Amino acid sequence: MVKKIVNGAKCKDFKNRTRLKSGSILFTKRLRNVNILTMQEYKKGSLHPITLIMNEAVSIFKDMGFVVELGPELEDEWHNFDALNIPKDHPARDMQDTFFLKDKEGFVLRTHTSNTQIRFMEKLINSGGQPPFAIIVPGKVFRNESTDTTHEMQFYQIEGLMIGENVSVANMKGVLLEFFKRFFAGENVDVRLRPSFFSFVEPGFEIDLNRGDRWIELLGAGMVHPNVLENCGIDSKKYQGFAFGIGLDRLMMMKLHVTDTRFSYQGDLRINQF
Amino acid sequence: MLISYNWLKSYIPEIPEASKIADLVTFHVCEVESVKETDKGDTIFDLNVLPDRAHDLYSHIGVAREIAGLLGLKITEKSFPEILSTDTDLQIDIETQNCRRYMGRVVKNIKVGPSPKWMTDLLEGIGQRSINNIVDVTNFIMFDLGQPIHAFDLKELSDKKIVVRQAGDDEKFELVGSEKAVVTLKNTDMVITDDLKTLAIAGVKGGQGSGIKSDTKEILIEVANFDPVSVRKTARRLSLQTDASKRYENEISPIVCNLAMDKISYLIKEMCPEAIFEETVDVYPRPQTERKISFSQSYVSTMLGINITNEEIEKILKDYNYQFVSSKDGFEVTVPSTRIDLNIPCDMVEEIGRAYGYEKIVPEVPKINQVIKDNPIWTKIYQAKQKLISDGYKEVMTYVFKDKGEVEILAAASDKNFLRTNLTDGIKESILLNQKNLPLLGLDNIKVFEVGAIFSKSGEEIRVAYGDSKNIIETTLDKFCESIPSDFSYKELSQEEISKIYVNENSQMQFFKPWSVYPFITRDIAVWIPEETDKEKLVEVYKELGTDLLTTEPKLFDSFTKEKRTSYAYRLVFQAKDKTLTDEEINKIMEDITDRVKSLGFEVR
Repeated sequence: MVKKIVNGAKCKDFKNRTRLKSGSILFTKRLRNVNILTMQEYKKGSLHPITLIMNEAVSIFKDMGFVVELGPELEDEWHNFDALNIPKDHPARDMQDTFFLKDKEGFVLRTHTSNTQIRFMEKLINSGGQPPFAIIVPGKVFRNESTDTTHEMQFYQIEGLMIGENVSVANMKGVLLEFFKRFFAGENVDVRLRPSFFSFVEPGFEIDLNRGDRWIELLGAGMVHPNVLENCGIDSKKYQGFAFGIGLDRLMMMKLHVTDTRFSYQGDLRINQF
Repeated sequence: MLISYNWLKSYIPEIPEASKIADLVTFHVCEVESVKETDKGDTIFDLNVLPDRAHDLYSHIGVAREIAGLLGLKITEKSFPEILSTDTDLQIDIETQNCRRYMGRVVKNIKVGPSPKWMTDLLEGIGQRSINNIVDVTNFIMFDLGQPIHAFDLKELSDKKIVVRQAGDDEKFELVGSEKAVVTLKNTDMVITDDLKTLAIAGVKGGQGSGIKSDTKEILIEVANFDPVSVRKTARRLSLQTDASKRYENEISPIVCNLAMDKISYLIKEMCPEAIFEETVDVYPRPQTERKISFSQSYVSTMLGINITNEEIEKILKDYNYQFVSSKDGFEVTVPSTRIDLNIPCDMVEEIGRAYGYEKIVPEVPKINQVIKDNPIWTKIYQAKQKLISDGYKEVMTYVFKDKGEVEILAAASDKNFLRTNLTDGIKESILLNQKNLPLLGLDNIKVFEVGAIFSKSGEEIRVAYGDSKNIIETTLDKFCESIPSDFSYKELSQEEISKIYVNENSQMQFFKPWSVYPFITRDIAVWIPEETDKEKLVEVYKELGTDLLTTEPKLFDSFTKEKRTSYAYRLVFQAKDKTLTDEEINKIMEDITDRVKSLGFEVR
């Protein structure tokens, strides 16, 4: 009796088999009328391309010494806005299209993973810790806007936060340049900074990336605003540092040439091409 | 914000040519989104002004001061001679805290007519329609100095009295304009009244009754300053965002009123030399106080990661005409009244840094040594995913938004207003979707998983769900990880290891291939070949004659050997990128394949 292949590792009957180059198992013996069907790489599982990109990004930052932090997707307005120096009734809150909750006032679906940076700093100070530290926060974020090839209502970001006594814009530039050089290995990578504004940083920057031909606007960054540090109990006269945020879906589209961000969230295996 | 090069040139005689301005602004001030040359010999830049600079850059004078400061050029800021004015009996009462300043000036004996060409050229260059000289000049000042101005027909005021107060609840008001729109005001809206009736919604829009008409002879000029939050709330509630409300809601310095009233008076006098000006009445209860910021060269240097000298900082401050005092401790600058965004030392770091030039900052990777470790949830998620793929499951990601659930969101851009309470529903849908595509995917069955958050009344929880068409299991991340056998080993891959997955045997990048939205057709073909013949010979034929309509690798789904011959049965999947294929087209291809296979001496079953 030949056992049906369900999960090769568990199959105990190894007689009558021919191992092919690819490592899958082909039964050549046939008993009765039972046809044993085989498939190449029958046991191959796969990760979603966004997970692959996220893991790549995390690995590069971890190599530089950063540590991963995670946080909730459903967040209160303090952690998502107020602590980040984005006051109510201020045009700066308009810069993000937010999902508010019915019957749960004061809560939102987080619009960035910066909520987790606030939580991390609060927890650090509450446990008697102090800077220096360097964390990266990958995670799912939500924006209430209409969808198209480059916009979805849920997507992934990775943010970084590094605070210490002399952490500078030069360090920020160094970290990001190093990241992109490794993420786009083999390409002629460069970054440049332009003045911009986000409530939670000062100075604030837009950062453009060049992979050898043209400049594209890619991420926002800046030196963490003293108000944000003080909101978490960190002495802004002693400590300073940078924060940045990159869209992982965007990186996936750039590196793997995925053409539509909406493909990612349909549960459609046709996107698992790797 | 549209900015005219010619308009800037009237402030900066030595301004460089237009082609140099866009990059200068983009790399030192804010993004220039477009540059357009007009057929009137002007160049128009569209600046993306962000909230921090909306106090001063929504005006040509503000942008001119920036450009002159960056380049160290002289800027001509005229002051306007006082105009001989008669006494006035105009009365102004401010009855709300939301009005920070109100300047009113009566001007009599004016003649409403066309505006001078230089003014209409500049206004039309930035997309503003010319109406008449009085309306145009108020517009001109707004785009010139950033100060919105309103002009009322004086005879519409029942008395020479202005009262600024909050509106009555449910008060109806007809707006100026051809649409004759009527809005319902609330007590949270601030209005300009003559004490008896409402003349305008403060900072937002004027009324139909009191606007300037072609026979208007006497006007009241309003140069005022309003609380930004109040104007913003009103403009939003009434869906009335105007050029004026945009400026007020980003906060303007009340000190700008002085220059604005002087300049508009001067321009009206030029256009209407016979005009008679009454004295300006100015109610300014809480004047803006002067601010100073102290910072040191070492602070700027450590924040930016550069070595800037005191001399370099001084040059930047001088070029920008900052009033400052320098001592051994550093610099103390007096903040210009329009720069509401400058409050603390790091604000000056940005001022110095962007003038200095961010391209001069040399990247420096910091050394990081920490004792803190990754959040354990990250490690659990990584481990769970590795376990599941080792068991043959493929990861999917589904939507958090569903049409039912326990936590509801407001005003979504779609029809799904709830957050998912489980992952299983999404996995079920995914399996159904993927089963339709089994031949395209080259699979015999679907095994998928998802790791993600669900949302219920009791809170947010990370779940793991995995399964196939027969069975789906869902559990919490913690429980799943607890159930993983202790001898299951994995490691967190390095970035280089992960990126190997994208390349083929020749280290060439295999990019994502978008799929067709058109239906696919499958055909099975089983062929007897001698036992020792490699079945690859068949695959080569299928791939060659399948044309580029053959979407995937031919898939072996059956084989058996009998009497020294092996039968191989392959499934071929055809799909076009741009249309629905017909049976006839595919039949033709299969005929060609069958002919070739026969010509190689093999028997088709």
